[in-house]
This record gives sequence, structure tokens and C-alpha cells, in this order.
Amino acid sequence: MRLFLLAIGGTGSRVLKSLLMLSAAGVRPVDEDGKPVPNLEIVPVIIDPHKSNEDLKRTEALLTNYRTIRNRLYGNEVNVEGFFANRIVTLREIMSDSTIQLNDTFIFNLSAVEREKFRDFIGYDTMNEANQALTSLLFADYQLENKMNIGFVGSPNIGSVALNEIKDSDEFKALANVFNAGDRIFFISSIFGGTGAAGFPIMVKNLRQAKNLEINNRDVLRRAPIGGITVLPYFNIEHNDDHRIDKADFIVKTQSALYYYKETLTGANDSDLNAIFYIGDQEVSKPYAYDPGEHGQRNRAHLIEMVAALAPLKFAGIADSRLTDQNGYPMPTMAFEFGLEKDVRDIDFLAFGASTRRLIYEPLVRFHLLFLFLRTGLRGMIGQGFTEDEPKLKSDFLTSQFYRTLTDQFMRGYVEWLSEMYDNNRSVQLFNMGENDMSNAIHHVHTRKTLLGRKTVDNNTFKAEMNRLSRDAKYSTRTTEYKLLDLFNRAATTIVRDRYENIN
Amino acid sequence: MKKQHLIYLIAGIVLTVLFYVMRVNAYEAVYAVSGFSDQLYNLGLYETIPLITIAVAWAMAGIYYYAINSVRFDRWYHWLVMLALVVLIAPIAGYAINSHVFDENGLSYATESLTFEMVNMMWAAVLFVVASFSMRWWSTNCRHTPIPQ
Repeated sequence: MRLFLLAIGGTGSRVLKSLLMLSAAGVRPVDEDGKPVPNLEIVPVIIDPHKSNEDLKRTEALLTNYRTIRNRLYGNEVNVEGFFANRIVTLREIMSDSTIQLNDTFIFNLSAVEREKFRDFIGYDTMNEANQALTSLLFADYQLENKMNIGFVGSPNIGSVALNEIKDSDEFKALANVFNAGDRIFFISSIFGGTGAAGFPIMVKNLRQAKNLEINNRDVLRRAPIGGITVLPYFNIEHNDDHRIDKADFIVKTQSALYYYKETLTGANDSDLNAIFYIGDQEVSKPYAYDPGEHGQRNRAHLIEMVAALAPLKFAGIADSRLTDQNGYPMPTMAFEFGLEKDVRDIDFLAFGASTRRLIYEPLVRFHLLFLFLRTGLRGMIGQGFTEDEPKLKSDFLTSQFYRTLTDQFMRGYVEWLSEMYDNNRSVQLFNMGENDMSNAIHHVHTRKTLLGRKTVDNNTFKAEMNRLSRDAKYSTRTTEYKLLDLFNRAATTIVRDRYENIN
Repeated sequence: MKKQHLIYLIAGIVLTVLFYVMRVNAYEAVYAVSGFSDQLYNLGLYETIPLITIAVAWAMAGIYYYAINSVRFDRWYHWLVMLALVVLIAPIAGYAINSHVFDENGLSYATESLTFEMVNMMWAAVLFVVASFSMRWWSTNCRHTPIPQ
């Protein structure tokens, strides 16, 4: 199954970044029996005309790094376990139609939109007087003057016009052509901004009305299981006299959009959307710098984004029988919400409910321990133990492109993500920030007690376990990279269960 | 169990047995003094001393690879420490037995015994290397010590 993940606007990019971190840790979608969803490929498509958005650029860089790392680890294998398990591909990578020219990127090309001011885009100057008057009623002057390469600046009424052009783009045609029966589509967007709030219903409408479009797979596409997460207000912005984006409008815009969604997407008898996930937080975040787009928009990662990233995984795991009827047509919309186990400001693993903990605790702990191990342990182990088993891990591994991409780039993004979530409100502190001692790495989770104190976990604990696993395993047909990460993942599974208190 | 490693183990055992079978030649090829060597032979010390040396070398290798077997003691210099212990323990034990047996028989070969134990030290080292390369392959943490393979 392919899950086409359409991440719209700044929130879309930030949620996608969290999904990447969870995927890197090995969080996989599971079906209703708790088994990993087989043959899953995730095809992220970022839809945002604001190309200089820092959040978008950070996510794009991480996506590229993720793909590089995963390709080196598993090649084209789909069903794998461990770190970087979810296969993430670009539209171009899976496209067989050579008549459509696409860049090998995760970003939807919106060049038709992003070059222009909105007034030029709609041909305001060529309208007759009556139409100009009507347009002026619908759009404020600053909206008409809005350069769309910085997004739609909190104005969904602009976005809904501009993004309607997407259906004619090569990317949309490519998506339509590679979409097969059994594949699914999931949207990530916020409801209180401009780009996401506008793009989500427009895109769903275009997909459901695919029969009118000049594309292949029209019938399959309009019956496609479609889900989406609508991120309700969750962050605060600094006060600014420029009111193009105003926190005071967030709730009003959300209410209006929710009414609109109810009428067009999610109503009781509506089946445009198979599943809708709502998430938001009334707890006020630390205010972000006011930036309608001109300065790049770089917002701190947030708990809501991490939780929102679980929604597409949940959607991928829903049984077909709950999404489509016997004739393959979409069933009425299912709605999902999320709640914490404890309504606290400082979020550790224990603040999550049991099902979330079961999904994320062990993978994230393993990944964090890997981060500490690569930073503090591996270099000193080269030439010993498991590193000397075939395929040998020599010191030049530490200067390889794979290792540098993993540690210098992806892990740096990981630490940044953790730090930003910690430095936000609610403050997410899954791990003790800056702590290199593995025994004390997990916030509020201790190692198990023994008669002589508590068990310890350090690099040597991993080395011993990896030595044992490596002795009994056969990696001679695998790459060094695979051996290292697979060994660590297996060792960490045992160590986390044996040495840390069980919180699941 | 890899076939190659099994071959190493069998080869090590064969070499050790060969050493024991040809023990007199092995020692006397390096050090032979008329009188002292005859007494070693007559008093059965050419049976006891090599046996002790073999036992110490294989036991110490076993202890290192399977009892200690720790990631904190998996470097070549840790193995060298064990080798040093072997080349001390085996000759000291050998010297003590020699002295005891010679004393019981009213003989005095202190200098010769010392030189003989220097030779025994060399054979102890060789046997420890043989034992190490025979059994190290199944050790969890020290199988690549002293030389990775």
C-alpha cells in the first residue's frame, strides 16, 4: 500500500518532520491486530508556495537525508524492522509515465502560483468594473497585493482560489497516474492559517471529483480512502501591529472552517473524507516570532506536531472494511481525537496514554540510545568485538557519507527537534536533555533495581549485547551500515526491556 | 559453529597432544644437560611438568575467553596480561615440583632447574597462543583478541 501524504503549509511541514523522527526511530503503522502494515510506502508531498519557509526547508533536508540513509540500509526492501523502517519515496521515484517531467523532490511545484501577486493571479486588472467591485468585497487590499511566494498569510480565501489550480499541475497528474487500488491519501494541514486551511478541502474536492479531470485512474482516485488531520490552534504568536496574522482570529477562523468542513467534508452523511483527525491545544505555546513569511518562518517544534504525526500511521492501519463499503465506495467519515493521560505542562512518556506509549516508547528510546552510542561509544569500539565480524566496520566508516549524513545531519535535526519541543509549552521532555549517561537518559524512567542498587546501561552494555548478537548472526551478505543499525536495534530492544523499568 | 573454527580447535588439540607426545625432544632440543636431564626423565618430571604447563595454558585461555569474557578486557594488552600470568604460573609451579621431587631424592639442581623453567616459560607461551587460537572463536566478547580475524 502506498500512503500519499499531502502536507500542506507550514504546519504540514512541521508535522512531517515529526513523522520523519518517529519513522527514523522505527515507529511503524500497525493494523488493528497490532501487526505492522505490510508493503507500506509513504509518498510525502509538501504543498506550500512559501518555498523560503525555514520549516519547509528543514523538513525537505531531513526527508532527503532520511531517504539517503534508508536506501543505504535497506535498498528497495519495503518490509523491514528497525530504524528508518518506513520506506519514504518521492513521486518521481515511483512514477512510470515518462511523459510527465517531475523533479526528484518532495515538494509540489507551485510555480504557477508562487510567482505572482494575488491580484495578477486572478487577473484583477483585466476585470470589468463590476467584477473588480465584487472582488474588492471578497478580498482586502493587502490580500490582493499579497505575493504568493510567501504563502497565503493566514488568508484561506486567497489559498482556496490559488490552490484550485493544483489539479492542472504535473504533480497532480503524476499522483493520479501512480495511484492504485489499495493506496490511500492523507492530508496534514492546519485549520487556522491560510495555506493548509484552504488547500485541504480544495484538494479533497479535486480528488473526489476526479471523474471530471483528464487523468488516468479517475475512478480509483475518486474512491480512494482519504484521511486528514486538521490541526486546530496550538501556538501563539508575538503581538505585532501588522494584523495580517492575528492570534485573535485563530478561533474565529477555526470555527468558520469547521462549519465549512462539516458542510462539505465531514458531515454525518458525507463520505468525501473517510477519516478526520482533530488535534489542538488550549494550553498556550511560547509565542513564536511574528512572521507572515518574509523572514522565513522558523517555528519551534511542538508536542502537537509529534502527536499529529501519529495520525497518518493510525490511518494506514485502519482496515479496508472500515473505510470502504462492499462496492469500494468510501464509508461515512470517522472522526478521531487525541487526549493525554495526564493534563500536565511537562510531558514525559508517562503523560501519554497506554496505546501511544506502546507505539512510541520503545522505538524512541532505542533511537535516543543510538544517538548517544554513536556520539560517545562507537569510535572507541572500532577494531574490537562486533566491529570485527563480517562485514567489518573499520575506522573509515566514521568518515563515510552514510555516517556523516546520519550523525552530522539527521541526528543534528533530531536533537534540534527534541530541544525545540522541550523549549516550548507544553514542554516535551522525553529524555534528559544533555545527559550522556544512558542509565539516566530517559526522563522519569529509571533502570531496574537490584540488590546492589540499580542496573547500569552504558556503551559497554551495548557492546556486550551486540557482540553476542553478532557472533550468532550472519551479516556477510549485508552492508556494514545495516549490520551496525540492526545489531544496535536488536541489542537495544533487549536492553530496554531488561534494564529499564517497564512503563508500558 | 563455523567449520573453519572447528578446524582451528582440532588443530590446536592435535598440536598440544603432539607437544606432549614429543615433550622430551621439545625440551631437550632447547636445553639438555647430562645428569639433570637424565634425572628429569628418570623421576618422571618430563611427564608432570609438560602436563602442568599444558593445563595452565589451556585453563588460562579458557578463563580469559569464557570466564572473564568481558568487553572491558577485550584488548590485546589484556590478553598479554594473561600470557604474562601463564609464563609466570607454569614455570613457578614447575620449579616448585622439580624442587620438591629433587629434595625428596636428595638431589640439588637449583641452577639447572631455573634454566629449565626458562625453557618451560617459552613452551607455556607457545601453548597459550595455541590454546587461544583454538578456543577463542566462540567467546562472546574476546573472540577477536589478540588479533582480529
